[in-house]
Amino acid sequence: MCACLKYARQRLRTLVFLAAACCPAIVQAVELMDGKLQLHGFVSQGIVFTSNNNFFGKTDDKVGTDFRELGVNFSLRPHPDIQVAAQLLSLKAGESNDGEVRIDYALLDWTALSGEWGRGGVRLGRVKNPFGFYNKTRDVAFTRPSIILPQSIYFDRTRNLALSSDGVEFYIERYSENGNWFLNLVSGWPQASDRSTEVTFLGRNQPGHFNSNLTHLLQGIYETVDGRYRFGLTSVWLEIEYDSTPASGLDGGRVDFEPLIFSAQYNAEKWSLTGEYAFRHSKFDHFPALPRNAFTGVSYYLQGIYRIQPKTELLLRYDVLHTDRDDKYGRAFEERSGRPAFSRYAKDWTLGLKYSVNPNFMLRAEYHRVTGTAWLTPMDNPDPAQQQRRWDMIMLLGSFRF
Amino acid sequence: MKFVLLTGIALVMLLVPVQSSIATVDNLTEAIPVVITAPSLNIPDIPRSNLRAMFAMRKHKWPDGTMVKVFVYRDDDPLHEKFSKQILNVFPYQLRQAWDRQVYSGLGQYPEEVASSEEMLSRIANTPGAIGYVKMNEVNKNVRVLEIR
Repeated sequence: MCACLKYARQRLRTLVFLAAACCPAIVQAVELMDGKLQLHGFVSQGIVFTSNNNFFGKTDDKVGTDFRELGVNFSLRPHPDIQVAAQLLSLKAGESNDGEVRIDYALLDWTALSGEWGRGGVRLGRVKNPFGFYNKTRDVAFTRPSIILPQSIYFDRTRNLALSSDGVEFYIERYSENGNWFLNLVSGWPQASDRSTEVTFLGRNQPGHFNSNLTHLLQGIYETVDGRYRFGLTSVWLEIEYDSTPASGLDGGRVDFEPLIFSAQYNAEKWSLTGEYAFRHSKFDHFPALPRNAFTGVSYYLQGIYRIQPKTELLLRYDVLHTDRDDKYGRAFEERSGRPAFSRYAKDWTLGLKYSVNPNFMLRAEYHRVTGTAWLTPMDNPDPAQQQRRWDMIMLLGSFRF
Repeated sequence: MKFVLLTGIALVMLLVPVQSSIATVDNLTEAIPVVITAPSLNIPDIPRSNLRAMFAMRKHKWPDGTMVKVFVYRDDDPLHEKFSKQILNVFPYQLRQAWDRQVYSGLGQYPEEVASSEEMLSRIANTPGAIGYVKMNEVNKNVRVLEIR
């Protein structure tokens, strides 16, 4: 019965995707109540092929189609100071995301203060986490610069944890002829109980699960009046607690994760240059069965986009991750644990092409030349002995929105 | 030979500015975008930074409390491009990115797209709090021109 339902659901998704891809002219954005209520959505389907290792499913020398993103949202602005909005989301990405439908955000936004200077207010409910330039809309292919975001900062294996928090967001925006300032503070509880988060932090799925403690994200962005230059700084204080069962033998414990991200962007008419740099401080504490362990990782990427013509974009990016900056190439880690040194770093050269068939439908192709496996999930790569240091990945993606 | 060449260059240099200035005179009356609002709004001018925030779908309220309703042409419409670059001083792709980012995180809504200047003028004239743009020579008595300070 369950398998049957699952099959039907998969069929339905394929149908929706095909219908959406074939007749973009038929499906249009829906606006009701004089445009005060808007309904929008997106469907993306990816194809992944890797020379070694697995990404988003079984892709090693195989063509994987286990990469799908679906979302529908509504927004209602009944009053100039109030907006209500929610989005349902289904992600399928190999073993780490099973396509389950969940609430991505559901919030009430109240602009308490506004004037010629700018505005300030509060959002209540499940809000998107402000994290670097891309996190807030990372599920929407149209808002990403590439098929996958630079993995050194936007890990897809902990995507659920990064997406949104249940709590409150305070915001202040200032508009002036000297530029625009945006300041956001989110305080709340992110989603930490999924298997993928657990495998990322503990190495494998255990009988217990993680719960988040109160977490804070603070982000400031400055942009020049013309938006040519944008600079951002994000600081996160994330705490997740492991709730064990007697069978796990771990007896609970806590992980503190405190990344600090610097972001910069330059936008010209034909090209954009973006770079982000992160220090990622992690601490494993109070696990009776594990040694106390603290380390700082570094992540950075530099990305250039060239708009050849309005419909076609070319992307080149170099993305680097070191899990531990005191052991950048994992040599000490290999001696200590016997696991490969290359699982502690990753360098990814990406070449990408985007073609917009029309404003609602786009196609993308991407080539990744990667050394190291630090951002791969053990869920798709369960056997460390099978992992390869050097690997290539080809990805294709079609995305439709309304 | 050299003389012929120099004369040629001089002629070209003389002619080119003349031609382009003729084109500019034509453009002056036709293709300059002006910002228009609903006639019921009693707001004569607006700082450019606020105009930009309105078209980025971040500012939702006029000083008198009326809800802002933004109308635009398609992204690839020449007037939209001109309006974005000359009046707002941003590229159309930057506006599109700002709208997308807000719509898909629950923070904002898309502006309403219109297909022709007739539609733009009639929607602006009949929607309280409406703001949009047309070519200077298309302005009629049913809409107000908004000055930028």
